[in-house]
Parts: sequence; structure tokens; C-alpha cells
Amino acid sequence: MIRKIYLIYGLTVLGAVGVAQYRGWSLDSMNQLKNVPKSVRDNPGSYRSVYSSYHHYTGGK
Amino acid sequence: MSPDSPQGQGSPKPHVKALNCPKCGASITLRALGQGVSVVCESCHSILDTKDQQLQILQTFEKITSSDPPLIPLGTRGKIRGTDYEVIGFERRAIVVDYESYHWHEYVLFNPYKGFRYLTEYQGHWNDVANCKELPSVDPRLSTPYGANYLGEIYKHFQTAEAKTEFVLGEFPWEVRVGESARLTDYIHPPRVLSCEQTSKEITWSIGEYVYGRDIWSAFRLGGNPPPSVGIYENEPSPFSANLTAVWMGFAAFTIALLAIMIGFSLSATNQPVFQSNYQFNRGESGGEVSFVTDTFELGGRTSDVEVTTSASLRNQWIYLNYALINQDSGEAWDFGREVSYYSGYDSDGSWSEGSNTDSVVVPTVPPGKYYLRIEPESDPRHSTLSYSVAVRRDVPVASFYGIGFLALLLPAILITWCSASFERSRWSESDHPPARIFKTESE
Repeated sequence: MIRKIYLIYGLTVLGAVGVAQYRGWSLDSMNQLKNVPKSVRDNPGSYRSVYSSYHHYTGGK
Repeated sequence: MSPDSPQGQGSPKPHVKALNCPKCGASITLRALGQGVSVVCESCHSILDTKDQQLQILQTFEKITSSDPPLIPLGTRGKIRGTDYEVIGFERRAIVVDYESYHWHEYVLFNPYKGFRYLTEYQGHWNDVANCKELPSVDPRLSTPYGANYLGEIYKHFQTAEAKTEFVLGEFPWEVRVGESARLTDYIHPPRVLSCEQTSKEITWSIGEYVYGRDIWSAFRLGGNPPPSVGIYENEPSPFSANLTAVWMGFAAFTIALLAIMIGFSLSATNQPVFQSNYQFNRGESGGEVSFVTDTFELGGRTSDVEVTTSASLRNQWIYLNYALINQDSGEAWDFGREVSYYSGYDSDGSWSEGSNTDSVVVPTVPPGKYYLRIEPESDPRHSTLSYSVAVRRDVPVASFYGIGFLALLLPAILITWCSASFERSRWSESDHPPARIFKTESE
């Protein structure tokens, strides 16, 4: 039983890795938006980034 | 114990006979007449000699098991390994280990043509037991600490103890006595157990195989449910150990397959550079708005990922870029922020550095089309001018998925190995060779 479960599990893992590579999945965090106005091309300032409020690290050791 | 008697090989055909107990007059049924040696009166618990026509009384004892009746009543018939057997005898035996008494039950089964067979039960763990067909050999060199060889299979010594019969009922193929002692030695090769029972008169070897209570209940068509098993029994098959080799072989095969997938995708990935440009960020010149857009670039092929790499020449500085990868035609966009920072210095511990001048991010599942980047840089106000470059590649292999896949395959194999080791540790903790002492014994 454990053998069969591991076999199915292993094939699922391999399948998931294959699909992830083929479809181009990513582990990086980002926000997907629809219908960004075409005017952004001429007026970049009209677009406000979701990440613009990011708190920046200004340290060092 | 009597050996099995196959059909038509000269054994007298047994038959059933009804008699009366010479002590109390209660009726006694002899089910294995001709093969049984002693019978216990169910009424007064006198042990009678069935070889004697007058049923001579061999022993009488007080009934001490009213609260511990047989789980399979005498006279019950059931099918074991395709043969019908009748339960004709029952006894309770005990061993004392470290001043603690452990009890178990034994049932005598009889088939007129196949002879005797036995069932043992201890805390819900059952064994189907028969006499050995050949004499096993015990050799200290066979295994550590020492073991026995039976039909080419090595059995490890598990326990040796003095067993005492506490209660008997029904018919037995030997001269049974309450209070009689025997030296029991068990050797195991799960799911089998090889038992040597030694008295002053004889040595008997038997071979048992672990049976689940539900199978006994089904074989004898008993009502209700069997008592739940408690703990791990000496020859209980481990659900993990039996699969361990197969799981690790599966892991090896899956790892090879994962490597093949990695090589296949690495070779087939286009990894195509589609955009590259250098920029300077000057806070003083920008006035107010610092965001800008790049030239458009074509992302071809099927839907796949896009890698955006930012490189900057930094010395104790940081730059943060708000990116948006925007499809010129559909307006679909991926919004993300990336920081590139690099710090270095020298202190009492010596030189140090942290961060990097390069950062990469992978944008997932981007359909083909014409795209541009909107970039909005930020940096430390103390540094006026920063140079950086942005590069975009299409269809890039992501190595981290292989690492995750490898770990996902490895962890269950480790978990099953740990469960198996834990199961065996529990099993052997009840033996004469508990795990803490096994290594000491091996080195001796």
C-alpha cells in the first residue's frame, strides 16, 4: 500500500515539476493586473505600482 | 504435540464420543477421540486421561478464569488455510518478566484428517501455529545476538522465558497440567515466529504466522469485533519495513527521472535574451516623476516564464525598482518590486560584505506578445547618481523547482524509514535485546 502511494506521489511530484517548467511557473511574488491603460506608455507617472510603499532596507552590518 | 496426520496415511480415523465426568457426572464430548491425550471437564475442571477407558482423573484445579473466558468458544468451527478446524481446547499461560506477569491464550484446533493446529492470542495479536516439519538449527553465528535456521530462513532470537500454564479447558493432544512449566524461546522473522518449548521430558518446535484478529473473526464467523490489538507484537509485520527497500528504490528511480527532466528542459529552454539596456538614476535631475518605460520587445514562443535581471554598481548603497511588465496590446501586467543592495566594510572580525550587485526575478506564465517595462527607481537620497542595467530573458529554466521536487521525493522516504525504525525499536524494546543493548551485544 505504502509502495503504491509513494509511486503515485512520486509520479505526481515529477508531473508537477514538469508542468511547472513547461508552463513557466515561478516562486517569486508578484501581482498580476488586467487592463492597464495604454496611456501608461506615454505617461508612466499615471501608473502607481503596488510595491511602491515597500519599506527599504538601508542598513549594512 | 502430535504431528499432522494427512488423510489416508495410517492414522486411525478420529470420531466423536460422549462420556461423563467421573468426578461430577457432567457430560464430556471427546472431539478428537483417538488423537487427544487429555480432556478438561468444563463443569468441575478435572483433567481426565482420554487414553483411559474410565477417564482417570489426572488433576483437578479451581476455576480461576471466570473473568477470562475463551474468545472463541470450544466447539466453534472455522476455516484456516482452506481447512475446516474445530476449537477443542483452550489454555491460558503466563510468563513473568521483571516481576511483571504477561498472560496469553492458546486455542487447540483439530481436524480429523489434518490433525492439530493452534491459535495464540496476546492483547489482540493472533498467531496461527503448527508443529515444525523439520528440526530447526540454532547457531550463534547465524545472527546477532543469535538465531535459528528453519527451512533456510534465519530467525533472530527474541525472548526466552519460563512459561506456566494457569488454566486449561477442553481437549489436548498432550498430558496437560495446570501449573506445569516450560522454557519458551522465541525466534522471529516477521511475520513468522519460531518457538521452542522445552520441558524436562521433551523439546517441541512450532512455527507461527501473525494473523489479524479480523481474519480470525471472519474464519470462525464470530459475532462482534475482535479485541483491538495493543502495542506491537514480537512478529507483527511492520507496514513500513516491508516497503522500505521499494520506497528507496522508487526514490532513486524518481531522482534519475527528475535529473532527466532537468536536463531535458535545460536543453529545450530557449533562454532567449529579448531586452537589455543601461540606465542612470539621478535624483537631482529627475525633478518629480522618476518613472519611465522601456522600448517594446517581443516575447515569442509558447506561454512561459520571463526573467528580469537588474545589475547595479553599488558600494554601500541600495536601489529599489518598482517594475511592471505590461502587454502593450492586452493591458495585462505583472507588477513587482526588486531591491539591489550591496554593503561591505571592515571591523574587529575582519572584512565583511552582504548583498549583491545583481538580482533576478522570474515572471510566471507570460503569454507571447509585445511587452514593455515600466520602471520606477528609488534609492538612498544621500547618493545622487546610480548606474544600473536591466536585462530580460524569455523561457528560462527555474532550478528551484528541481530542488523542491527532490526534497518532496526525499522527505516521505525519510519519514517511512523513521517510522520503520520506530516500529522496530518498539518491537525489540519488549525483547531480551532492547535497542539500547543491541549495539553493546554486537560489539561483544
